[in-house]
Amino acid sequence: MDHNQAFFLGNIRTALGEAPHSERVKSMFPKLFASPDTTEIRQKIAGRTVAEQDELVEIFLKNGNSLNICSHIVASSDAAAAVVVELIRSKEPEFNHTKHVIGHDHPDIAALQLWKRFNREAVTVHTAFNSDRQVQEKTIASFIGITAPTIGVADSATLIQLTEPGRPRSTSLLPSIHIAIMRREHIVADLQEAYTLLRGRAHLDSLVFISGPSKTADIEAHMVHGAHGPREVHLIILAEPSAAGSDAATTEAA
Amino acid sequence: MNDYSKEAQKALASPRLQASLHTLQDRFGKGAMALWANMEDQEMRRRVKKSRLKNLEHLDILLAELARNVRARGGKVYFAETAQDAIDYTLKVARDNKVKRVVKGKSMISMEIGIDPALEEDGIEVVETDLGEYIIQLAGDKPSHIIAPCIHMDRKQIGQLFAEKLGMDYTDDPPTLTMAARKELREKLLSADMGLTGCNLACAETGHISLVSNEGNIRMATTMPPVHVALMGMERIVATLEEHRETVQLLTRGAALQKLSTYVSFTGGPSSADDPDGPKEFHLVIIDNGRAKILADPEFREVLACIRCGACLNICPVYGRIGGHAYNSSYCGPIGAVITPLLDGINKHADLCKGETLCGACKDICPVQIDLPRMLAALRQKLAYASDRWDTRQHNPAEAYGFTIWRLIITRKPLYRSLLKIGRLFQRVFIKKNNMISSMAGIASGWTDGRDLPPIAKKTFTELWEEKYRNRQAAAAPETEENQ
Ligand code: SF4
Repeated sequence: MDHNQAFFLGNIRTALGEAPHSERVKSMFPKLFASPDTTEIRQKIAGRTVAEQDELVEIFLKNGNSLNICSHIVASSDAAAAVVVELIRSKEPEFNHTKHVIGHDHPDIAALQLWKRFNREAVTVHTAFNSDRQVQEKTIASFIGITAPTIGVADSATLIQLTEPGRPRSTSLLPSIHIAIMRREHIVADLQEAYTLLRGRAHLDSLVFISGPSKTADIEAHMVHGAHGPREVHLIILAEPSAAGSDAATTEAA
Repeated sequence: MNDYSKEAQKALASPRLQASLHTLQDRFGKGAMALWANMEDQEMRRRVKKSRLKNLEHLDILLAELARNVRARGGKVYFAETAQDAIDYTLKVARDNKVKRVVKGKSMISMEIGIDPALEEDGIEVVETDLGEYIIQLAGDKPSHIIAPCIHMDRKQIGQLFAEKLGMDYTDDPPTLTMAARKELREKLLSADMGLTGCNLACAETGHISLVSNEGNIRMATTMPPVHVALMGMERIVATLEEHRETVQLLTRGAALQKLSTYVSFTGGPSSADDPDGPKEFHLVIIDNGRAKILADPEFREVLACIRCGACLNICPVYGRIGGHAYNSSYCGPIGAVITPLLDGINKHADLCKGETLCGACKDICPVQIDLPRMLAALRQKLAYASDRWDTRQHNPAEAYGFTIWRLIITRKPLYRSLLKIGRLFQRVFIKKNNMISSMAGIASGWTDGRDLPPIAKKTFTELWEEKYRNRQAAAAPETEENQ
C-alpha cells in the first residue's frame, strides 16, 4: 500500500470516528462481503426443461422487440447460417464500400462455415483469432460483427458478452451491425440468475451487458439508433430439437 | 441581482427551455414515480439504501479491497485527496504516454475537478463523445442536466451549430445530425491515445468499475485507446456483485426508466497482452475532494449514498422552471443544491439551498430515498447560524435580528395585536385593485419584486374563532354529524 492510500483511507477512518492509523481488515467484517446462498438458483437454472426454456425465449423476444433487437429462432446451424448470409447480402456497409465481416473465435460461429458461402461474391469473412495481429484493422473494416454471448437474460433482453481470448470486445461494438448467436439453453430468466452465473467469471478484466442497439435521445429527446455502437442488433436463437447440450448453460457459464 | 436569480430569470424567459423542461419532467419524472409505485419488489429501494449507508460506514475497507483486486490484474490505482492531485496524476499519465488526444465518456466528476482545461493547457485535445456533451462542447456551453446535457438547446440551434462547426449542410433532422456526429466522433475515438471516463459503480469484491451508457461511446472510449483513466468519486462503490445488481438497476430506472441501460460495461484492469483491443494501461483514480468531510458529518453523510441518476431533477418544481444553468455547478437540481455547497462552500453557493422549495418531491422520486429536503433545511440552518465545521459565516445578520424581534413580538399578545392593527392601516396604500400588494417600499421590496403578496387579513384566525364560537361550547356534536 502506498503512502497516498494510507493517508486517504486514514482520512476516511477519521471521518467515521475510527482510529486513523489502525487499518481495518476485511476478515474482521465477514458480513460486509456476505452474499446470499445461490445453490437454489443454480439448481433452478440447471433443471430447466425445454418447455421452460422456450418460455424464456418467448419473454426474451418480447422484451427484445421493444428494445429494437431483431430476433430469429432457428433449429440448426445451417438455418442460422442462412439468416446470417441473408443479412450480409441485404445490408450495406456504412463506413466503406467493401463487405467485411468479423466473427468471434467460437464453435457456434465456426459451425456457420461462412467462409465457404460467399465464393462468388465480394464478401470477406474474418475470425478474431487470438494469434492474429490484424484483428483490430479487420474489425474496423467490418460492417457486421458476429459474437456468441455467454448468457442471455430474458427479463431485460440482455446479452452478456465476456472478453476472452479470440473474443475481443470491439466485435460487438465497431461494426454497424451486431449479430449475436445464442443457444436457447444459455438464456436465463433474470439478472439475479445471470449474476449468479457471473460469480464464477468475476476474474475477467472486462465484460459487457448489451441490451439492444446503440441509441441516443440527446437532440430534443428524439430517439435515434446508432449513436456510437451498432445501429442494429440481431439475435439468432439456436433451438436445436435434440436435448444434446442442454446443460451447456451451466458448463459454459458457471 | 446575483447570478442565480439572473440565470433563473433568463431560463424563465425562454419558452423553448420551458417547453423542453416540461416534456422532460412530464415523461421521466412522472414515469419514475409510476415505476416505483408498480415495482414488484417494494423493498428493493430500502434495501439498496441500507446497503449504500452500510458501505459508507466501511468505505476504507471497500476501497482497499477494490484497489487490491484491480492491482492484482495489473491495473494502477491512485488515491487522490484533492482535485489537483487527481489532475496532476492524470496529466502525468498523459505525458508518460505522449497523449495528444483524449476521448471522454460522460463523466461529472471530470467537470467537478476541472480536468479539461488542465489537459488542454498541456496541448492535449479533449473530445467529449457523449452526443449531448459533444454538442455542448462544440457550442462552448455548459451542460444543464445530468443525463440530458443539452436539454436547453433545440434542433435548430444544434443544426446551425453543426453547419458552422462541422461544415455540413444545415439540417434540423435529429437522425441526420446524430449520424454526422457518429462519423466525426468515430474518427476521434479510433485515433485517441487515452480514454477518460468516470465510474458509475465500482464493485469491491470483484475489483471492477462499471459504466452505463446508451450510446456506446463509453465502451468505445474504454476499448480503443491504449490508455484508460477512470475517475471515481470515492463513494461510488458497492461491496458485492449482489449489491451491484440491485443498485445498477435502480440507477438506470431512475435515470431513464430503463431496466438496464443499453450497455453496462465492467472493467477491472488492462486488457491481456493477446487481446487485440482494450487498454494496455488502466488507471483508477479514486477521488476524495471534500467527500471525507461530508462523510464525517452525520447530518450530511446520507448524501453520499447518491448514485447520480438525475431523477430528482426530473421532478423538482424549481429545476423544472429554472433549468440547470442557474445552479452554476457541475451538479444541478436538488442533488446539486445539496452536494455543491458541501463540496465547494456553503456560503459560496448559498442561493442553491434557499432556492429549493422543500416540497419533498426529490425524496419521493430518489431511487435510494435520500432525504434531500432535510439536508436543504440543514444547510439553511448553517447559513442562518454560522457553523465552524463548515466554515460558514452568518449569511444575513439582519435577517437574524429580524427574527429575534419577531420572536419578541409574537410572544407578547397585546403587542402583537396592536402592531397588526397598525399594519392593516399602513398597508392600505399598497393594496392594488386585485386586492394584492404588488410593491412594497424599501428593503421590503425584495418580497414583492417577483410576486404579489396577499394583504394582512382583516381579522386574525383567533379573532374569527372567538367571534363565531365564543357562545357555542357544544358545537362538537352536530359537526361530527355533518362530517359523516
Ligand atoms: S439524490 Fe437520488 S434522485 Fe437525485 S441524483 Fe442522487 S440518487 Fe438520483
